[in-house]
Amino acid sequence: MREILSIHVGQCGNQIADRFWRLILREHGLTDQGTPKEGSSASSNANMEVFFHKIRDGKYIPRAVLVDLEPGVIARIESGDMSQLFDESSIVRKIPGAANNWARGYHVEGERVIDQVMNVIDNAVEKTKGLQGFLMTHSIGGGSGSGLGSLILERLRQAYPKKKIFTFSVAPSPVISDSAVEPYNAILTLQRILDHADGAVILDNEALFRIAKAKLHRAPNYMDLNHIVALIMSSVTASLRFPGRLNTDLNEFVTNLVPFPGNHFFTASFAPMRAPGQEGQVRSNFPDLARETFSQDNFTAAIDWQQGVYLAASALFRGDIKQKDVDENMASIRKELNFASYMPSAGGLKLGVAETAPEGFATSGLALVNHTGIAAVFERLVSQFDIMFDNHAYTHWYEAAGVSRDMMASARDSIANLAKSYRDAS
Amino acid sequence: MDPNLERQLMSASRSVEEVRRLAYRDPARIGQLVEQISVLADLRQKEGDFRKAESLYREALYRAQELKKPDPELLCGIHSLLAHLYDRWGRMDKAAEYYEKALKIADDAHLENNDKVATIKNNLAMIFKQLRDYPKAEQYYQEALETFRSTDGGESPRVASVLNNLGVLYYSNMDVERAQQMHEHALGIRQSLANDQLDPTDLSQTYINLGAVYKATGDFQKAEACVDRAKRIRAAMNGFHPNPRRAASLLIDKT
Repeated sequence: MREILSIHVGQCGNQIADRFWRLILREHGLTDQGTPKEGSSASSNANMEVFFHKIRDGKYIPRAVLVDLEPGVIARIESGDMSQLFDESSIVRKIPGAANNWARGYHVEGERVIDQVMNVIDNAVEKTKGLQGFLMTHSIGGGSGSGLGSLILERLRQAYPKKKIFTFSVAPSPVISDSAVEPYNAILTLQRILDHADGAVILDNEALFRIAKAKLHRAPNYMDLNHIVALIMSSVTASLRFPGRLNTDLNEFVTNLVPFPGNHFFTASFAPMRAPGQEGQVRSNFPDLARETFSQDNFTAAIDWQQGVYLAASALFRGDIKQKDVDENMASIRKELNFASYMPSAGGLKLGVAETAPEGFATSGLALVNHTGIAAVFERLVSQFDIMFDNHAYTHWYEAAGVSRDMMASARDSIANLAKSYRDAS
Repeated sequence: MDPNLERQLMSASRSVEEVRRLAYRDPARIGQLVEQISVLADLRQKEGDFRKAESLYREALYRAQELKKPDPELLCGIHSLLAHLYDRWGRMDKAAEYYEKALKIADDAHLENNDKVATIKNNLAMIFKQLRDYPKAEQYYQEALETFRSTDGGESPRVASVLNNLGVLYYSNMDVERAQQMHEHALGIRQSLANDQLDPTDLSQTYINLGAVYKATGDFQKAEACVDRAKRIRAAMNGFHPNPRRAASLLIDKT
């Protein structure tokens, strides 16, 4: 079996875990405790072992490691409906907290907990027969998900050099923000994602906020944003969890979506985007679904669509969908997508269809794309970084926790270069 | 892999997992967890997976520090296990660092006159010898010797081992005369040991070391006689080697 181990780090990473596992339990016909629902057929046609570990009494346990430096979110998961779902031996929580400081998550508190995290991961890996890789969910703006997340990425790469590492990384935005130092944390983390991950789906709070606001008609909160993230994760991983032909393993994702080394930052779009609980209200026809899937304002990163080009893209449609509809509609959509001149015109967009739609949806669409306009996200973070850094604002907190200004400057330069390499590829 | 080791590893992994669950709910179980983790780490080291062994020992260390009343003997022990691991891994700087940390803990807790501490000093001396810091190596050997004399008695196997180590140190530092004294003293002790206390490999090693010393002083007859004795002991062992790991390095902390 080609198993995948999910690692959820920090407050945001675990809130996403809460939403994500809830969704995929339903898709696989499992109860909140991980036991098969009576009369459920979903589990029979799925690759359950990829995301779940089956134990003797027929219960499925998520292949997941939950890590946080603050007990709050994990405690809520444990006291909620899914209290019996996760294996307690794979939960790592420590009290001190990283105080929104990357350096504390990476050095001070991280140092004390990283070995335990790695031991728990090693133990989970030993339960697999043919692990294909890791998924990490975290935010890159806070302290734990960013700092400790970075440390985990480094150690994972050292320990498992041949396994694929994918991250779902939530990028900070001033429109919904907890602290002033988020750009520092984000830049330091992006450097580790650049160096140690094989692919990263960037979930930009700036874009998520805009999407949520447009669909909900009110000021969204973190739970709304995390719900969108979970929907996207569930669809990105659907091709790994259900039989199909497109992107059936992480290697294929990388081969299809990463044309140049290092340019492995993706953005995604999910359609139809609805508020939680309203999913069933709109039943869109396929042309509308396909349009919404590739609608520019539906993507989860604030992409510069004007200046950029598509490097690669894949789309997965789920539910009751006819291949004929897909072929007919996507041909015209493909023509409108502005692919890089050197990319094969037919090969740039990969299409897949899966039978099982997410819970509550009759049909759904997902686009996962590598677009050079993502440079705008990095440039925005770099410029926010520069304003504070050039004035030495807040850097003493990082120096006090073992991260020098030189280290910060070098991270900033790598990300500025990354943005430039995307611009150059346009 | 050795199927026996594989079985032990599996069962140790399961125990760690189980105690992790218990300790997650009940912090009072952390002591038990530390113990189980150390068992698994030791097996990982035997398996040759130093990376996993390291991270297990390090977890044990941080967990042991979380205890309400950290036990200095336990902390000192885990530090020395980690140091020993780094030593086997060939990471001498790290090994020295952790042995020194272990000694500092022992010192703060007034555990000086303890055979574990003496073992640490002996092993640390061996690392300083490899790093060619002979004065420090000698000092730690002397301190280890003094402690073993008071804990085990002057004519004990461990005293002989440290004397042997000192002899090797003097010899590599070109101090042949003192090397000879040490090895002759070690030989005297080892010859008088009861059979159940004597490791024939050690005895033959002493003869070989003495042979080298005599050769260096120009006394070739004595040197040849020593080498002959060593050969005969080895031959009598008939290929049987009770503890192969002790052949290379002399005193190995197995606690």
